[in-house]
Amino acid sequence: MKLSELVFLTVIFTILSFIDSQVNLFLIDFFIVSNITYLFLCYLCLRNPQKINSLFGAYIGFIIDLHQNTFFGLHATLFTLSILLINYNYFRLRMFSTLQITATFSFFTVFFVGFKSILVSTMNFQYLLVFLSFFWAFFTYLFVPSLGKFLIKKTKL
Amino acid sequence: MARLPDRSSRFMLIATFIICSSILFVDFRFDSFKPVQNFYNSSSIFIRVFSSEYIVRPLYRSLSSIRDTRSAKEENQNLKEELNKQLIENYIISNKKILNRNIFFDVTNLEKRDLKLVPAKVVDFDVNQYKCCDKHRMFLLPELSSNIDSFKVVINPEGIVGQTIKVNRSLFEVILLSDKSHKIPIQNENKFYCEASGLGIPKKIFCDIDLTLGDKDFELKQKIYSSGLGGIFPKGIEIGSIVEIQDLTPKEVRIIIDLNADPLASNYFGVLQ
Repeated sequence: MKLSELVFLTVIFTILSFIDSQVNLFLIDFFIVSNITYLFLCYLCLRNPQKINSLFGAYIGFIIDLHQNTFFGLHATLFTLSILLINYNYFRLRMFSTLQITATFSFFTVFFVGFKSILVSTMNFQYLLVFLSFFWAFFTYLFVPSLGKFLIKKTKL
Repeated sequence: MARLPDRSSRFMLIATFIICSSILFVDFRFDSFKPVQNFYNSSSIFIRVFSSEYIVRPLYRSLSSIRDTRSAKEENQNLKEELNKQLIENYIISNKKILNRNIFFDVTNLEKRDLKLVPAKVVDFDVNQYKCCDKHRMFLLPELSSNIDSFKVVINPEGIVGQTIKVNRSLFEVILLSDKSHKIPIQNENKFYCEASGLGIPKKIFCDIDLTLGDKDFELKQKIYSSGLGGIFPKGIEIGSIVEIQDLTPKEVRIIIDLNADPLASNYFGVLQ
């Protein structure tokens, strides 16, 4: 990956993380967590696994950990694990329809939200939050490919 | 074994995951990367404050100086800030005798001693994290050029909010009473004592009580005060009231206390020196 692409993607992921935190401010009252950043990473990884590899996932994860002031390595671990899973099932996922991919990534999001909640909100873990995140991720991922195409139109990613 | 689309080896994929999870474990268990996060936070706050004070605000002022409403808005803002400061002062005055009763103070010269209050303004408060997670922290910037040490009491017009953690000379972090890792010794009017921890929910702390250790005299809606036993918080300040009593086991109960002071109520806080 070129340095310019890396900087461009870092800025995009930081902005998406900021949008996530702002949206969550309102959604948390309805027990919903927005995960545009995570879904965007999944989308990019499936689109171009050669460039969006585990090292990139770890790098972006560490940046988001610093930005969101959570445990250092939390996002990095979960992003790397997701990329690992997508890589291991890449050819299977390529056969899936859009609806199936949306459902798969929504399940991934459920595990992402679940693991994150266990660590950052140990005493107040709520299954409802994890459950509703599936539907929100399903809804969000319908827009992520369009967003991805729009954002990376100029780069050859 | 599944075929990988990536040219990089399986080893690299798994090694990256193991390294990341090891870093997470080390940070979770030992807080080893806290200095890195503190450095990032203080740098980003500095950049934000600097750009806001010296770039954005002057530009904004020069652009909006045409409008007369601007000055009215600023005056309104200043009045609000002054009002907040006054409310904190009033709180201090109305609780002065209790606040002076700190166990480290010389009790023979109570009248002569004057409490020093350093006003401080919020520069970073992640409300999202405050609402969703266990970590309830905020960063404050003192209005006076005084050095704020750790373990100082932070108040707002509604009462005690938390205590300070020093980050650097001009910035400090406040751990709120509701933070999961915060503890405060409390008591009620019936001389019932316990050490309350933050529940990780806004404005809530809890206390686990072993009923086998003797009679415990507490009930719902009872007022709770700071006991001053830890040496940090002054004795006798009203903290909140009991809102729930949960039975954990037949021999253990948990009381949930709703705090009086809401950290979202104002942007100004006072630090008791």
